Amino acid sequence: MNATPAAEPHEARRQRALLAAFNAAASAVPPELVLREQDARALRGLEAYRANAEALGERALGAVFATIRLLVGEENFRHLAREHWLAVPPMHGDMGEWGAEFPAWLGRHRAMAEWPYLADCARLDLALHRNERSADAVFDVASLALLGENDPARLFIELMPGTALLRSAWPIAAIHAAHQVADETASEAAFAVVRAALAEGRGEQVMVVRQGWRAVVQVLPPAQAEWTASLLQGASVAAALEEAGEAFDFASWLQAALREQWVKGVALLGD
Amino acid sequence: MTVRLAGAGIGLRQPHYAQLLGAPPPLGFVEVHSENFFADGGAALAVLQQAREHWPVSLHGVGLALGSAAGLDPWHLDRLARLAERIEPVRVSDHACFARAPLAPGQAVVHANDLLPIAFTDEALTIMAGNVERVQERLRRPMLVENLSSYVSFADDSMSEPEFFARLCRRTGCGMLLDVNNLMVNALNAGLADPLGGCCTFVDALPQGIVGEIHLAGYNETGEIVIDDHGSRVRPDVWRVYEHALTRFGAVPTLLEWDTELPALEVLLDEAAQASARLARCTA
Repeated sequence: MNATPAAEPHEARRQRALLAAFNAAASAVPPELVLREQDARALRGLEAYRANAEALGERALGAVFATIRLLVGEENFRHLAREHWLAVPPMHGDMGEWGAEFPAWLGRHRAMAEWPYLADCARLDLALHRNERSADAVFDVASLALLGENDPARLFIELMPGTALLRSAWPIAAIHAAHQVADETASEAAFAVVRAALAEGRGEQVMVVRQGWRAVVQVLPPAQAEWTASLLQGASVAAALEEAGEAFDFASWLQAALREQWVKGVALLGD
Repeated sequence: MTVRLAGAGIGLRQPHYAQLLGAPPPLGFVEVHSENFFADGGAALAVLQQAREHWPVSLHGVGLALGSAAGLDPWHLDRLARLAERIEPVRVSDHACFARAPLAPGQAVVHANDLLPIAFTDEALTIMAGNVERVQERLRRPMLVENLSSYVSFADDSMSEPEFFARLCRRTGCGMLLDVNNLMVNALNAGLADPLGGCCTFVDALPQGIVGEIHLAGYNETGEIVIDDHGSRVRPDVWRVYEHALTRFGAVPTLLEWDTELPALEVLLDEAAQASARLARCTA
């Protein structure tokens, strides 16, 4: 036997109705709101909240997905932001957290089919945003000594918080870089690189790391991408080296990693 | 560092970071929107840590959604508690609004990320008191709750807004953050014949001892309704309500809010100086 659902309390019903009214372009005020304002004045009040939500959504999403905004243009982006708000509304009161599902949603969007690289570009924008919000960490210099003293099968290299690896069939780093350039001549050169990469069907594997307070993009050769992916998955140094293959030069990588502060520390299994 | 117990403060906003921290002015406090510092790390949080070396920091939230019948978001409360632990704020505040609700019965609760109006009923008071108590228990400190500017209101309110706040404060031990500009925006939108008088009547209806901070800001009246946009100087009538509030409540820490069309820092500091002068007169 099904239990009878408890009646929805009055204020809960009112709040739900008010939220629904903001999301719909209503031409009449839902009676359950019991508003003091009447007719046009009530609709104008609801419209003020609706306009605020639209502006907020566009601003928040635009701050994270700056490349997408430039790629599709202001007007398209405004529509996308509103559509996304309705399809995947924020769940938390920190708008910096909203947008995690935007790349996949964009990839499924039929009107965006002419830009097949959009979803991956959005993933890169999101990885950069998340990196800049990730925990601050300091390299554990002392842990480096473990590298020379232990079996690589028991050693683990932890990368800095926020480090991400993206593998794309599209030149996402080149597209991202071209949209960062303000100078007209440099911009034309950057877009020429993108056009050439697209014509060749050349994809890119990129790592997102923090440089100072800013997240930056590094294009990785295949062996380094395999190595980085393994480290991010928690593989031992021995396993990561095997995945990376002969082409990977560990000594050169370590030098760059220490210089660029990619590594948080080294750990020994069982410690 | 000299901690000033009362005085005027301004919002700490990104375009002013370098100038403010380069030559810290003698502000009573700075205020930030808590949610902008919920990240695990990053530049903004580092700036806030630096700011607290110069001024007391007031954490002012816009997302707790204290009036939500759906309850508080545990994730939000966790983040706020972590931030409060990191920053040791002089005050913690949020709004008498709701934002969390399902879009249909039984659906997941979404967050509108706006300050949506609540009704002033016994049921709404019970909801808000429960949520405020939960925040205070978690933070182990009393908080301040701010009155809203709202563009719709409810015909079935069973008590006045001052009574709602008086009862909320008595029941939970929280304080009130009195936004004087919001009083004026609501009075204008309600079409009161004497908006200034209406605002002063509101102030007079509040009990002594509950107001822990005052907010001042500008509003925009270019459209059909007055919008509380925090994008201009404080209007003369709002200054008059502020003076009336100081006469009634004494020297209460006061924030100059300016969130849109951010002006040069000097303009903001000039507004803060005007509030400071009124605070000084009130304690003279």
